[in-house]
Amino acid sequence: MISISAMYGERYASEMCTAVALSVSELPDSLIEEAGLEKRIHDRGGEKEVRFYWRASPTVLPVWWNGRLQIVRWGNRDRSERKIPATGWTWHESVKDGKWSALEAEPVVIPATYGFTDGVWYRVKQGMRGLIVLDRTEKPVVFMLCEPSTRYYRVMTRAEWMPVLVGEVI
Amino acid sequence: MVGHLDADCFYVSAERVRHPDLVGKAVGVLGNNGACVIAKSYEMKAKGVKTGTPIWDAKVLCPDGVYVKRDFYWYEVLSRKMLDIVGSFFSPLEYYSIDEFFFRAIPINHGQTLAQAATAVRDHIRDVAGLPITIGIARTRTLAKLFSDTAKPFGAVAVTDRNHERELLARLPVTEISGIAGRRAARLAPYGIRTCLDLADADGKLVRQLLTKTGYELWLELNGRPVTPIRPARSPHKVLARGGSLMGNVDDPKLLWAWCVRHVERLIEELHYHNVRTDSLSVALAWKNGESTGGLCRLPCPSDRFDELLDAARVALRRAYLPDATATHMHVIAPELRRARGFQMSLFDPPNPKDKAVAAVKTAVNEKFGRFKIRSGTTLHLPAVYRDPANDFDICDVRGKVCF
Repeated sequence: MISISAMYGERYASEMCTAVALSVSELPDSLIEEAGLEKRIHDRGGEKEVRFYWRASPTVLPVWWNGRLQIVRWGNRDRSERKIPATGWTWHESVKDGKWSALEAEPVVIPATYGFTDGVWYRVKQGMRGLIVLDRTEKPVVFMLCEPSTRYYRVMTRAEWMPVLVGEVI
Repeated sequence: MVGHLDADCFYVSAERVRHPDLVGKAVGVLGNNGACVIAKSYEMKAKGVKTGTPIWDAKVLCPDGVYVKRDFYWYEVLSRKMLDIVGSFFSPLEYYSIDEFFFRAIPINHGQTLAQAATAVRDHIRDVAGLPITIGIARTRTLAKLFSDTAKPFGAVAVTDRNHERELLARLPVTEISGIAGRRAARLAPYGIRTCLDLADADGKLVRQLLTKTGYELWLELNGRPVTPIRPARSPHKVLARGGSLMGNVDDPKLLWAWCVRHVERLIEELHYHNVRTDSLSVALAWKNGESTGGLCRLPCPSDRFDELLDAARVALRRAYLPDATATHMHVIAPELRRARGFQMSLFDPPNPKDKAVAAVKTAVNEKFGRFKIRSGTTLHLPAVYRDPANDFDICDVRGKVCF
């Protein structure tokens, strides 16, 4: 029997992009305050950025959705939602195969300045592609869209899967 | 006086031009395979990351470092821009490498010193191209390069006084001279030659004996006697080659052949650009066990045609091939070039207008729609190589550099 996570393509977190960083200048102050992101602010070379780690609690990501930047729950790590895959990532292939259609998933962009996979921070031009579904309380949950790594990305990060980036290939 | 311009951590600076958020951060540019740091910012260098450090070591040394994929096409754009700017001030100008130029240094305004001219040009390049550079001016190329290297980053020095020159040379170990590394330095050490000044003051005959003609020429230059002129154009290539890493281990002969065909196609582009043909073709292979092999195939008459060079490459590869071994690097080399006027045609090979026309169409389509848009079907065995547009342009595709 195939579990719902396997069907949607769960992988070990270490193989995936497990964090994104977004420059503080990209986030409105009100959003930082509202979402309680102050503790996630880091200084990198004199510039402040907010880091969104898969391991952080609550697990959230920034998302452009419904025309505005929002902080949204990232995946179903705590398995609190029974109908939503217990993962934070999904495959491009699964989406093409229509496996997400029952959940009425919507494509979104996850804005990012840097991505993080297996200890390597790499620059991202615009962001990554994601999918949003609504949980049973109608709150949005985002999943990062992934595809098989290019050879370059695989050597750089040792990961077999890479996020689908907006307007670029690493 | 000779000027030497060297861009400060050029690849990183070039990335910062288009991504200003990288300024002030520890940045590493990764090479063709994504495995090694080929350029690092001063912030990353301070953490112990060196050129050539593998990414898996670099991420430990510098966990907050940001890694960027190389883009030689973009680096050439900025390099040419920098060249144009420097060319508007100084002539003759030598395009030594993508980030290093030599030029005849003169004051650019009346009453200006050379140090002021160097500072003005350095600041102008930063303002116009966004690139930090260092300029050194001295009596010879070797001295200018030495002084610009020691003035980094963002320096501008003119050493015109002999006493000042000697004072600086006394501070520099002899290994700072480009061309004198460990083995040559070890040959000098028993004679008490440890600094650049020691070498400059040594007996010329002894230097020639220890370091041959090349070392003797460096000695002359250290003493202010110019040996190598500024070369505004590079001398014609005697050999052309294309190749490099096979992006992993290759033991499948089909894949080896696909790589070979890719390099033949790239080599033919160069033959056409330089308007030369080759008398023979060789294939050099490096194997995982450390062995290197080569195969050569002579052509009946000089050629730059795909069909003829492909046949030659097949023979050369077969000669270089080791069954059951794993290859890591390959180069396809045109070792005997013939200039346009010196082609000796064969009596038995009639002109082939059809193949010529096909080659012309291929070139025209690729020029118009992008490199490798039309390519040999054999290269379909390398989907990962062609999927990534960054592989279309390598550092060796930056033409006109004097260094290689």
